[in-house]
Amino acid sequence: MRAAWRAAVFFFGLGRRAKRTKVFFALGLVPVLLSLLFRMRHALSIAPRGFSGEFFYSNVILPFYVQFLVLMLALFFGTSVVLEEVEGRTLAYLLTRPLSRPAAVLGKFAASAGHALAVLNIGLFGSFLILKIERAGDPSAWLSVARDSAVLDLSLLCYLSLFTLMGTFVKRAIFFGLLFCFGWENVIAFFPGLTQKLAIAHYVKSLIPQPPGQTFSFLRLMLEPSPPLFAVLILAGLTVVFLAAAGLVFSQKEYVTEN
Amino acid sequence: MTPVIQTRKLSKWYGNILGLSEVSLEIGPGITGLLGPNGAGKSTLMKLLTGQLKPSLGRVLLAGEGVWNNPALFRRIGYCPEHDSFYEDTTGRQFLDGLLRLHGFGAAEAARRTESALRLVEIWGDENRLIRGYSRGMRQRLKVAQALAHDPEILILDEPLNGLDPLGKRKIIRLIKELKAGNRTILVSSHVLPEVEALTRDIRLLHQGKIIAAGDIHDIRDLIDAHPHVVALRCDRPRKLAARLMEEPHVLKVHFGPDGLLTLETDNRDLFFGGLPALVVELDLEIEEITSPDDNLQAVFDYLVGK
Repeated sequence: MRAAWRAAVFFFGLGRRAKRTKVFFALGLVPVLLSLLFRMRHALSIAPRGFSGEFFYSNVILPFYVQFLVLMLALFFGTSVVLEEVEGRTLAYLLTRPLSRPAAVLGKFAASAGHALAVLNIGLFGSFLILKIERAGDPSAWLSVARDSAVLDLSLLCYLSLFTLMGTFVKRAIFFGLLFCFGWENVIAFFPGLTQKLAIAHYVKSLIPQPPGQTFSFLRLMLEPSPPLFAVLILAGLTVVFLAAAGLVFSQKEYVTEN
Repeated sequence: MTPVIQTRKLSKWYGNILGLSEVSLEIGPGITGLLGPNGAGKSTLMKLLTGQLKPSLGRVLLAGEGVWNNPALFRRIGYCPEHDSFYEDTTGRQFLDGLLRLHGFGAAEAARRTESALRLVEIWGDENRLIRGYSRGMRQRLKVAQALAHDPEILILDEPLNGLDPLGKRKIIRLIKELKAGNRTILVSSHVLPEVEALTRDIRLLHQGKIIAAGDIHDIRDLIDAHPHVVALRCDRPRKLAARLMEEPHVLKVHFGPDGLLTLETDNRDLFFGGLPALVVELDLEIEEITSPDDNLQAVFDYLVGK
């Protein structure tokens, strides 16, 4: 664990200076900008009637996270854990240190997770404050955003570990990752029976409360949601399994750089 | 003497391509040169020695231990990769300090070692510049610095002189020779014969994935000298020069080419080049060009493998 911590500190420092982190920090501010725009329209009384901050948060901001930003953060940070080292030919520096291979993967995963979670939460809490400023004194509002944050964090870690695993053995991991995110994860949700449970998105959406009586929601489940505790256990379990598999693959696989 | 680096019938295939074939080596303390043309398998061997690749067949032992998935061994090994690759958005100091922290050194010790290593390779002064702004020579020296900053007993340097100017080469050669002290085992690869010659007399010749000669460089040179060398000369009066050269016992053949080009074979290259200036003065010739078409490592290997 000490070695993984050393690797995490090293890669966290490297990641702060990486272009990818800067681009995603900018992308992470999109919900904040959208919230600001909404607020301005509201202040100018040009927002549609009944289109409240609450509604905007649940139907625009949250779907943006669940269906786009979480996936993109996980895909680009996750696949880069190993692929970046292989393609950048810096793997030799890592493999010739007194650092076990699983510790190196775990450390870089932790560093990537740190950056991705920061991007996610800064935007989420920023949007919340802008859209629900009137309820800033209400503990239940904070509880609600904390719950959303926890769900998004858990889903991010789950996807991140999956793409970390994918990056250890698939060369065009981003391409296949995109297929997974916008193909499999969306299509499978419309399948009847237990098939929908083969998508990570099913468990994520099971944890997001469906507003009662609301006829329209981007995040509504097509079929039956799983119980919340079961969904949490599945997401946490998958994270552990994907990470362990990534460590195992990385410790057994040799990476040949092309000359 | 117990060998520090040992391989037994080491082979490596990349799919159907043979990278290394039944290489058995025993290398002890001191500097050993690994010489071979591009594509000979030098980098493959070095990656196998540093546990980056798994052998297809055979064994690798460093200090008596297997190297694949043996991270503890890397406290004792320093490796300089061939590729010019770095974490470009870091400074030289951050790069080295970070790698030392991966070794488990505390902040103060890592900082001290970083400064010491950067001073040794003469980058101190540019330590806070981004690596992407470093010259090729500085990058090469930084790679050497990261290999030796943790003070390893075994140094494996893959083409450390690549891309350096003559002055830079001289500095690194001097540094490697200084590192020899303290009973270190240093394996240096190169495809340039004079570079290796400047570093050590103990060499291993690698060709098409096989060790074809091992031992003292002078013995190998003698072996090479047993074969004729080809020299091409362009001058104003090639016939006169040819007639005079044919009187020399070490000149075996002379061939006339277009535009005054004279191609000759000699079995004593040193004697030929030693006597040439006197001959030019004696005959009052104007030499436009002298080349040795086979004075390269590939030709040497071709001789040795009997092509």
